[in-house]
Amino acid sequence: MERRTFLVSTAAAVAAAGLATPAMAQDKKAVIGVSIPSATHGFMGGLNWHAQETIKRLKATYPNLDFVLATAGAVGKQVNDIEDMMATRNIDALVVLPFESEPLTSPVKAVKDAGKWVTVVDRGLAQAGIEDLYVAGDNTAFGRVAGEYFKANLKPGAKIVVLRGIPTTLDNERVDAFKAAVDGSGIEILDMQHGNWNRDKAFSVMQDYLSKHKQIDAVWAADDDMAIGVLEAIAQASRQKEMWVVGGAGMKEIVKRIMDKDPQLPVDVTYPPALISTALEITALRFVSNTPVYGRFIIGSTLITPDNAAQYYFPDSPF
Amino acid sequence: MSDTALSRPAGASRLPALSALGPLLALILLVILGAVLNDNFLSAGNITNVLARSAFIGMIAVGMTFVITSGGLDLSVGSMAAFIAGVMILAMNALLPSMGVGVPLILVGMAIALAVGLLAGLANGLLVTRAGIEPFIVTLGTMGIFRSLVTWLADGGTISLDFAVRQLYRPVYYSGLFGVAWPILVFAAVAVAGQVAMRHTRFGRYCEAIGSNDKVARYSAVGVEGVRLMTYVLLGLLVGLATIMYVPRLGSASGSTGMLWELEAIAAVIIGGTALKGGHGRVWGTVVGVLILSLIDNILNLADLVSPYLNGAIQGVIIVLAVVLQRGKSSSA
Amino acid sequence: MSAADTSPVNASPGPVLELVDVRKSFGPIEVLHGVDFALRPGEVHALIGENGAGKSTIMKILGGFLAPSSGEVRLDGRPAPYASGAQAEAAGVVVIHQEFNLAPDLTVTENVWLGRELGRVFLDHRAMREGTRKLLDELDSRIDPDARIRDLPVSDRQMVEIAKALSRNARVLIMDEPSAVLTHREVEVLFRQIDRLRAQGVALLYTSHRLEEVTRLADRVTVLRDGAVVRRAMRGELTEDGMATAMVGRDLEDIYPARRHEAGELALEVRSFSVPPLVHGVSFTLRRGEVLGISGLVGSGRTELAEGLVGLRAASGEIRRNGAPVRIASVREAAAQGMAYLTEDRKERGLLLDKNLRENLTLSTLPRFGSPFISAAREEAALTRAIGDFDIRAPRRDMAVGNLSGGNQQKLLLAKTLLSDPEIVIIDEPTRGIDVGTRSQIYAFIDRLAREGRSVIVISSDMPEILGLSDRVLVMRQGAIAGELAGERISETDVVRLVMGTSEERADV
Repeated sequence: MERRTFLVSTAAAVAAAGLATPAMAQDKKAVIGVSIPSATHGFMGGLNWHAQETIKRLKATYPNLDFVLATAGAVGKQVNDIEDMMATRNIDALVVLPFESEPLTSPVKAVKDAGKWVTVVDRGLAQAGIEDLYVAGDNTAFGRVAGEYFKANLKPGAKIVVLRGIPTTLDNERVDAFKAAVDGSGIEILDMQHGNWNRDKAFSVMQDYLSKHKQIDAVWAADDDMAIGVLEAIAQASRQKEMWVVGGAGMKEIVKRIMDKDPQLPVDVTYPPALISTALEITALRFVSNTPVYGRFIIGSTLITPDNAAQYYFPDSPF
Repeated sequence: MSDTALSRPAGASRLPALSALGPLLALILLVILGAVLNDNFLSAGNITNVLARSAFIGMIAVGMTFVITSGGLDLSVGSMAAFIAGVMILAMNALLPSMGVGVPLILVGMAIALAVGLLAGLANGLLVTRAGIEPFIVTLGTMGIFRSLVTWLADGGTISLDFAVRQLYRPVYYSGLFGVAWPILVFAAVAVAGQVAMRHTRFGRYCEAIGSNDKVARYSAVGVEGVRLMTYVLLGLLVGLATIMYVPRLGSASGSTGMLWELEAIAAVIIGGTALKGGHGRVWGTVVGVLILSLIDNILNLADLVSPYLNGAIQGVIIVLAVVLQRGKSSSA
Repeated sequence: MSAADTSPVNASPGPVLELVDVRKSFGPIEVLHGVDFALRPGEVHALIGENGAGKSTIMKILGGFLAPSSGEVRLDGRPAPYASGAQAEAAGVVVIHQEFNLAPDLTVTENVWLGRELGRVFLDHRAMREGTRKLLDELDSRIDPDARIRDLPVSDRQMVEIAKALSRNARVLIMDEPSAVLTHREVEVLFRQIDRLRAQGVALLYTSHRLEEVTRLADRVTVLRDGAVVRRAMRGELTEDGMATAMVGRDLEDIYPARRHEAGELALEVRSFSVPPLVHGVSFTLRRGEVLGISGLVGSGRTELAEGLVGLRAASGEIRRNGAPVRIASVREAAAQGMAYLTEDRKERGLLLDKNLRENLTLSTLPRFGSPFISAAREEAALTRAIGDFDIRAPRRDMAVGNLSGGNQQKLLLAKTLLSDPEIVIIDEPTRGIDVGTRSQIYAFIDRLAREGRSVIVISSDMPEILGLSDRVLVMRQGAIAGELAGERISETDVVRLVMGTSEERADV
């Protein structure tokens, strides 16, 4: 259960999980609907993988649990998925990672109003108090931890560039926290363009940064997929010695390079796709034990350094 | 109506119609704008970047020009590129133990990419011509199929080329001949060959005839279905070629590889003056269209003109303007 | 210029619609040179002239589609209050276009009522269908009001166009060659409707290349040549020969070529040939140097037979070329057997209207112009030859063929078809919608082909054409050969008798 290491504020719940026994009085199978975005980029790929693995494991452990997994490539599809689950699969609980907050709020609320259990993962709904359980990464910490690293390791007057993700609230939270953290350090942010969490896009954006700016001391790529594209662009310009790169999320290839003390990749910031596993496990507890599992579980973002990288390295995960 | 029968051939020196120059004009304006906004814009490095980046979409768009000219459409090219890249990398990784790191392995990988591209194009083409399904629907379907297949092959993550192979393969994207990067050279060769094929071979003429009116083509002894099939196969091969140039760049493929390439390729074709309904193809126009699309991105990155949130809007405006310029001129000409 | 000066007060009713000294220029070129033209209630006024004489321009100006460069359009003696086709229609001036203005994907009913649909919020489909039914009944037409225009043969489309115009309750009806694509019978129905409208006091403008129709219908004839009126006549004042002479501006010898007498050996034998679903069990032979006419109603299977022979339609049966059995499954294979087909539908099946002359000319024989690269010089040379041989008149060589007149399009199509040097040429409706001058040229070309030892099959709805050209005539009815006439036996009555069958039923539909 290596992913337990991610849990920061859920220690109690995890402890309870350990106590819970599969022996349940009820015969009826509980059905848990799981609705997540499809694997369109590395992070979501990892999240999908973790979701499938966890479902497999939970099914084996708890025979009276059943899961319905639906992945959606767009908001509308996700809304349809949830409506279908309610209408045809007779779910008892819904674990949902909303594509976007606003459009998903009322469909999820409808599930709640029907008396079902609702676990919301990672992206909050627009209206408070709908979900029974909220499991999320900490976007503010994600930006702040990175920013603090930049502040601590760069001299005043240093110049950096930033690649942003797809324009979303989540991206704004991260970037705002990052900016707040480097504020007052004398570090100059030269440029902030969207790389859309995509390798190819990040590659071209970085190429253009390199054409435009003579001096760049460090890059906050904010995502490991983007970091890969950025590193290629830097290599193409033969400017590897001039700058280092910080990505984010904890992709296995990146973690490996940190373990190997790559000077271009000193650290990474976690934003674990395994948070879906946490959400599923805790939700499962609701149906197989009497453990109280209401509440908010925020999984913090921590810094991966060469010293601790080994514990974040999952060679089997696709991400 | 005048009754003069011209007995001499039309002057070969006739200048192309103003409408044909619309996209070129837009391109020149963009270059001037870029040069004014940033000193590094015209640097060799930046020009190489822009051209090399254009190369993938460019090769695909040249193929797309033939498909659209003959009245077809292919939405699957982006997914197809991702799928080909995935299969190519997996195959090379699998063959690594038996073949070892070396040029033969790379060549086998390239052959596989072309073969998969050919088969994918053939599948699209056969569904369109033999099964008689609308190209939009066929390729919308295969778009989803290819995209899912690559995501499945990658287990939702990323397929990465073995590090040692990658080091050997890397120069195919990053180095070149006489200081010109390989992707640019290959793109140029494809563009020239495409232009010649469109203007000076039967295949190009037949594509235009079929797109213009396929009944007339059929009544004129043109093998309509065969030519249509060929356009999809050609496009599949060019997607394979683009993938060969793409894989060494990042050495990986994932579900997000080649995202929206189909729309960029189609947009480039239309900006270049090829009619979306078919019948009139302009390969060099497509090249200009691709360059326009790349340049917009490049200039927006180089100059902090607007909020990055508005990048999409600027792109949209320029695309529409380029086409308006062209249509406006053609109606007055 | 006041209206009162020109309107005479006498027995003849005053003009309802009138052009006074109208000139029209396109760019620097003046195409109408001061034309006076009037339409009177209860009168059919025929406007005749060669293609390009200015008839279309006059009709477009009358119908509100074009504005004159100078001069005046008067409706009821006052300046016409309309500036567009739609406004003209609202004022009771309706044009039946030669180029059908029908939406191919809508049904007959939807087209008839397009723009003036019945019903308030929701469409009243029933009322519209009933209305259409009634209009079509008046035209003796059995077209299904729910059929899509796309699925209708050309003649039916023309009937729909006429029905649509009738439904407009026109005071002035302008008909641009309505009979060009109609069969004999349909033309008769059309004439009855025209007589009825005339009796109701509608002012009619009629154009046709078939001068016998003009003689039959017109109360008044105006002959146009090169954008000016060259002759005005009342009923009976002008013979058909006189009309033709006035149109062309010179004496026309007989437009049909002299008969050839020597027919060569057998070039083609067709036995038990069927083209499902329409044509079944057709057998005939064709000799070198012979012109074989195929007559019959539209829908009798003539075109289907021809398309089956050249591999455009799936067919069964036996074809022998020079005595040896051959299989033909595509136009290409037909070409390899020295057979070529010239379609009746030159705009949709014959020519690429948005391409230039050169690309159209060489499309079906492109492999002869170089491989892998096409030699533009050889194409240009071929075009120069074709322009000379077939007297194709084009303002510019690089213009789109869609902008050529119908006659020149047909000559180009003929040149294209003959570029493959075929031994057997099947020509479907060689002169549809073509003026009399060009027509005699095309007849001469057909005659020349036969004299060169080629075999020609001419499919035509034009009776004089069949009679004037053919050495032998096959008549088709309901997908089979109804009879064959040769030599002295070819007469109009015999052909018509075979076309119609003993009972005067309509062949098909």
